[in-house]
Amino acid sequence: MPVAASAVYFLNLRGDVLINRLYRDDVGGNMVDAFRTHIMQTKELGTCPVRQIGGCSFFYMRISNVYIVIVVSTNANVACAFKFVVEAVALFKSYFGGAFDEDAIRNNFVLIYELLDEIMDFGYPQNLSAEILKLYITQEGVRSPFLSKPADKPVPNATLQVTGAVGWRREGLVYKKNEVFLDIVESVNLLMSSKGSVLRCDVTGKILMKCFLSGMPDLKLGLNDKLFNFFLNIFFNYGKTIELDDVTFHQCVNLTRFNSEKTVSFVPPDGEFELMKYRITEGVNLPFKVLPTIKELGRTRMEVNVKVKSTFIEKLFALGVVVKIPVPKQTAKTSFTVTSGRAKYNASIDSLVWKIRKFPGQTEATLSAEVELISTMTEKKSWTRPPIQMEFQVPMFTASGLRVRFLKVWEKSGYNTVEWVRYITKAGSYEIRC
Amino acid sequence: MALSGMRGLSVFISDVRNCQNKEQERLRVDKELGKIRTRFKSEKGLKPYDKKKYVWKMLYIYMLGYDVDFGHMEAVSLISAPKYPEKQVGYIVTSCLVNENHDFLRLAINTVRTDIIGRNETFQCLALTMVGNIGGREFSESLAPDVQKLLVSSSCRPLVKKKAALCLLRLYRKNPDVVNVDGWAVRMAQLLDERDLGVLTSSMSLLVALVSNNYEAYWSCLPKCVKILERLARNQDIPQEYTYYGIPSPWLQVKTMRALQYFPIIEDPNTRRSLFEVLQRILMGTDVVKNVNKNNASHAVLFEALALVMHLDAEKEMMSQCVTLLGKFIAVREPNIRYLGLENMTRMFMITDVQDIIKRHQAQIITSLKDPDISIRRRALDLLYSMCDVSNAKDIVEELLQYLSTADFAMREELSLKAAILAEKFTPDLSWYVDVILQLIDKAGEFVSDDIWFRVIQFVTNNDDLQPYAAAKAREYLDKPAIHETMVKVSAYILGEFGHLLVRQPGFSPREIFNIIHEKLPTVSTSTIPILLSTYAKILMHTQPPDPDLQNQIWAIFKKYESCIEVEIQQRAVEYFALSRKGAALVDILAEMPKFPERQSALIKRAEDTEVDTAEQSAMKLRAQQLSQTSNALVVSDQHPTNGTPAVMVNQLGLLKVPNPSTRSNMDNDSEDQRLPQVNGTLSKVEALPQSADLDGVLLDTLAIEGPPSSIVQPKSNSNLGLGGIAVESSALVPVDQQANAVQPIGNIAERFRSLCLKDSGVLYEDPYIQIGLKAEWRAHQGRVVLFLGNKNTSPLLSVQAIILPPTHLKTELSLVPETIPPRAQVQCPLEVVNLLPSRDVAVLDFSYKFGNDMVNVKLQLPAVLNKFLQPISISAEDFFAQWRSLSGPPLKLQEVVRGVKPLPLLEMANLFDSYSLTVCPGLDPNPNNLVACATFYSENTRAMLCLIRIETDPADRTQLRMTVASGDPTLTFELKMFIKEMLVSIPPAIQKPPQASPTPLQQASDVAASTDPGAMLAALL
Repeated sequence: MPVAASAVYFLNLRGDVLINRLYRDDVGGNMVDAFRTHIMQTKELGTCPVRQIGGCSFFYMRISNVYIVIVVSTNANVACAFKFVVEAVALFKSYFGGAFDEDAIRNNFVLIYELLDEIMDFGYPQNLSAEILKLYITQEGVRSPFLSKPADKPVPNATLQVTGAVGWRREGLVYKKNEVFLDIVESVNLLMSSKGSVLRCDVTGKILMKCFLSGMPDLKLGLNDKLFNFFLNIFFNYGKTIELDDVTFHQCVNLTRFNSEKTVSFVPPDGEFELMKYRITEGVNLPFKVLPTIKELGRTRMEVNVKVKSTFIEKLFALGVVVKIPVPKQTAKTSFTVTSGRAKYNASIDSLVWKIRKFPGQTEATLSAEVELISTMTEKKSWTRPPIQMEFQVPMFTASGLRVRFLKVWEKSGYNTVEWVRYITKAGSYEIRC
Repeated sequence: MALSGMRGLSVFISDVRNCQNKEQERLRVDKELGKIRTRFKSEKGLKPYDKKKYVWKMLYIYMLGYDVDFGHMEAVSLISAPKYPEKQVGYIVTSCLVNENHDFLRLAINTVRTDIIGRNETFQCLALTMVGNIGGREFSESLAPDVQKLLVSSSCRPLVKKKAALCLLRLYRKNPDVVNVDGWAVRMAQLLDERDLGVLTSSMSLLVALVSNNYEAYWSCLPKCVKILERLARNQDIPQEYTYYGIPSPWLQVKTMRALQYFPIIEDPNTRRSLFEVLQRILMGTDVVKNVNKNNASHAVLFEALALVMHLDAEKEMMSQCVTLLGKFIAVREPNIRYLGLENMTRMFMITDVQDIIKRHQAQIITSLKDPDISIRRRALDLLYSMCDVSNAKDIVEELLQYLSTADFAMREELSLKAAILAEKFTPDLSWYVDVILQLIDKAGEFVSDDIWFRVIQFVTNNDDLQPYAAAKAREYLDKPAIHETMVKVSAYILGEFGHLLVRQPGFSPREIFNIIHEKLPTVSTSTIPILLSTYAKILMHTQPPDPDLQNQIWAIFKKYESCIEVEIQQRAVEYFALSRKGAALVDILAEMPKFPERQSALIKRAEDTEVDTAEQSAMKLRAQQLSQTSNALVVSDQHPTNGTPAVMVNQLGLLKVPNPSTRSNMDNDSEDQRLPQVNGTLSKVEALPQSADLDGVLLDTLAIEGPPSSIVQPKSNSNLGLGGIAVESSALVPVDQQANAVQPIGNIAERFRSLCLKDSGVLYEDPYIQIGLKAEWRAHQGRVVLFLGNKNTSPLLSVQAIILPPTHLKTELSLVPETIPPRAQVQCPLEVVNLLPSRDVAVLDFSYKFGNDMVNVKLQLPAVLNKFLQPISISAEDFFAQWRSLSGPPLKLQEVVRGVKPLPLLEMANLFDSYSLTVCPGLDPNPNNLVACATFYSENTRAMLCLIRIETDPADRTQLRMTVASGDPTLTFELKMFIKEMLVSIPPAIQKPPQASPTPLQQASDVAASTDPGAMLAALL
């Protein structure tokens, strides 16, 4: 396995070091100063996550108000390093109870040092599974008082666990009620031209699972994917199938069986985890259509008309719909009429922000606004017309059309399980040019 | 301040200050800007208070670095508010946000004007401050008179006057032409009588600016300035609050002395005496004290006084006093003072004749070379360099060499260059020079540029008695264990050339020399190997009787390098190998290098180039130009075209590579070459030809990186450049009436004419009242010239007359010139020119006008010269030779040997031809020393006529050349020949050309000359 890091730094937005851990001696302790002066205090920040300064590579990532910086001087595996950061953050979150920010770090110095010692050794990533680590790093993070405390569990033999065949699941789990929750979360990325033709469109989805199952259950998941249902389609004509690209699985999924039988079967870890990720580029059902007309009337007035149509079925509804319509910087006065929701002008992002709390399917909403501009000194550069952005969440709708066909649980004791399936579609970068 | 009570503003500012990061700040600012925009747009509720508040906010945001591109209207409108707080915001924000070219300023001008001429002092001050800060052209035009009035009005308080003076200063600096300062001298003199020191300081700044532009008008201010100085320095008659650490207003003192430096001389003996008294007092009364501030102030005054003393060419006594003082300073511990002391000493050295006194401080200066502060070391080096002469050269160079081994790396290159230059310039005997350079290379090899060692080799080659000594020395250095590569180059070259002179001495047998040089071969880079190979070849040649063992060894080396990837090395190896098998012929081919032509040192020239940069500034420079009679070479060399350009170097190489047919060895060389391709089939014949000379040419060309001798050694060309316009141009304008002398032209008329000969538009003549511009278009034998007569004044020019006195060969037609030219207007007069005959004569414009009572009459040469009717053409070799042959013998083809040509490298000569529309055809003449050019000449009589020119130069003596000119028309041939001759003899074409150039040719070809005689006589008259 390649080296992922020589040192890890956690910085706040001003560039102060919150915590750092040096894993190897090949980078100096003051390397972070170079990061501060050459990256943080320049415009480079946020342009490229990997930079090389004076023989050292810096990989950095911002998570809430913390920069996590990895410094290496050898030819490291960048993907591995970033994956490590992401996993480590997930781990910290599970220890702290949800939040990962500057305050959380400040409150949990000791715990973080202990975890950092455990999850990486001499630059090589180690076990990052929260479930396992919690077996032997039993120190509780400082949680906010509102979160419920999990029940105390007996501490079995940790060594056996780590070295065993199913490293991600503890033996001897017992639940009174055996439940499985399956969430399919998709985010739609769209770029549409002003004439309504789709320039770029894809869906990235993930299947999250939460298991409360006793013993060592074996699970099998069926989806309406082309690959999974090749045979089923031939024999039973199951209807519409979809094609998944770039599928990645959690380590618990048995890949040999997937390759031979095309089924997703696995022994799940206890608690919450991400079972698989996928991407879809074709046959995307767009939940919303946006028809903007923006007219510039002379130098000081603009007329904005935006019509938003929901295309999903009437029974469903979207939540938290926000449409951001950009306007020129010199906007002075705005007046609106909307059929639903509320709109206002936000000067700090130079946009009209239109919020609709609940948007039923197969309906449409319109906004018409008049914008007055102030005359400026500089010879007016023509306005660049940035795209309209949209945010939303549609529960029980998948933009890809993905459906769970079955989820089978098999355990030696043969108990009954309850399976819950939930779908949700969110907006990724949903942009419409105007 | 007015900020108090504006809660919104302070809340906003504290919000911004509390932002954690830039992003938050931007959001907050954008939000605020949005709010301001909304408020400005909704006109109804904007109270003056709100307006003021938002405009302050805008200023704050602007100061944070964000773009504020609206709201200027509001800011400007606040200027006209009746109350102080609003007016203040208006003025401040406008002067920050708006730049001088902004349209909005026009709106403000009237309000500003009412404020300025109003009675309210605070408003006046605000307005003056803003006008000064923005200071655009429009402001100058409309407000300068008012500001001037304010400055001289008796009712104004000092506060306002002060601001008015500074405001006017600013306006004047920005647009000196707009602010009318005619007749302002009296007022200025009155202002200098002012008692209030604040006003006086501001007025003095204004005076400095005025005087720097034109000191003539302000003679009356001079005694006043001296009075002020007296008052400050002698009488100490000033209020307490204007003294700074006990020094009476140092700023005013410095400014006054600066102003005095702009006057070339002080004639009135009384004034002069009292000034010197004051200066004496300043010089005597200054000492180094503990307090830094006091030191700074008193030294500022002192050094300004020193500058003034130098400027005024005081008596020797005073000068020596200054030097003593400076001597004291350079011994002080305080580095700033020492720096200033050294710097001023350097300056003093260049200006005055107190060098002997300065030399007394040599030891102290040398100590400064070891100062920890590098800038002081540099100053000391500069000073040492400039104070070096024959008497102390040995000491100083010795000292520099010693210092070299400990010096800073940053300084070593400069140091070695300077040591080399000094050694060359002031060498008492040449062997010492060789010693110094070899030591230099030994101590700081990597900092010794090629020029330095080329130069030492030139010297050694040219001085027979030096050669054995140099060879012995070189041998000595080769014995040292680790030597620099440059040293290897020099030693190898010298030993190769002159090693055989010492063959009788122990350690100088060819074998020993070879061994010791060959030892170095593995350590050197590819640029040195060719030199070593040449050395081996020479050693081989000098081995008498031949030593077969050594021969085999050397041949083996040549063999080895025959397949070297470096072409230069490979070629030499192949050629030397082939040559060395020729036996006896070798002696001729590899004979000793001929003497180098005596030329000016490239080093010295380089040093001059660098020194121009460090030459003195401002007042000193101005003074040097005014008194250019005594000017030092530095300032003069400033104006010369720099010679050391790479183009020249390349050209030189080309020149020297050419075989000289007169020497026997080279002849052999050529014939040798014909056979070479057979010996070694890899070389193509085409390649071999130019390389023939390489055998010794390459050795030579590495040494020949020099331009033509610079004009320092040619006092003749100095005379018409260095002395500035006046002397020269009076000779250009012989028949000028007495009246004309009343108005002095600006710039050199002859210079302007010359440059117009080469280009088609420019200024022909300029004096304080009028400017005559010219724009020409030439098509075949016709031309259209437009004269632009521009009146520079505010009053009209009367009885304007322009008559063309055309020579016989031109037909000219000038359209009507108006009698009067209105103020500040420009009149265009088209002029048609038709060329009838080829001739060198020049048309003359007799121009006269009347300004006030002055009648001005000038005679100007019009740039309708021969080359304007030439058109460049390119011609193939066959055509050229066909034409050349068909035009045989005089009078169609004329040949002349021209002597006294200004030496020019061939490339520059080609450029010169090109600039006169004569196309240079490279490659037509097999001899690269020759230059062939052609052009088409147009005139009404001859129509289009092909002209062919061939120039044969002599590489040995660049001042002479043979010129052959051919064309289908005898007159044209003669005229063109004379034209080119004039052009070559006097580059840049001197004014004296007709009398200088004509005598010889007129006698030689008198028959042809007779036909064009009237024109020639007219030219001679002018």
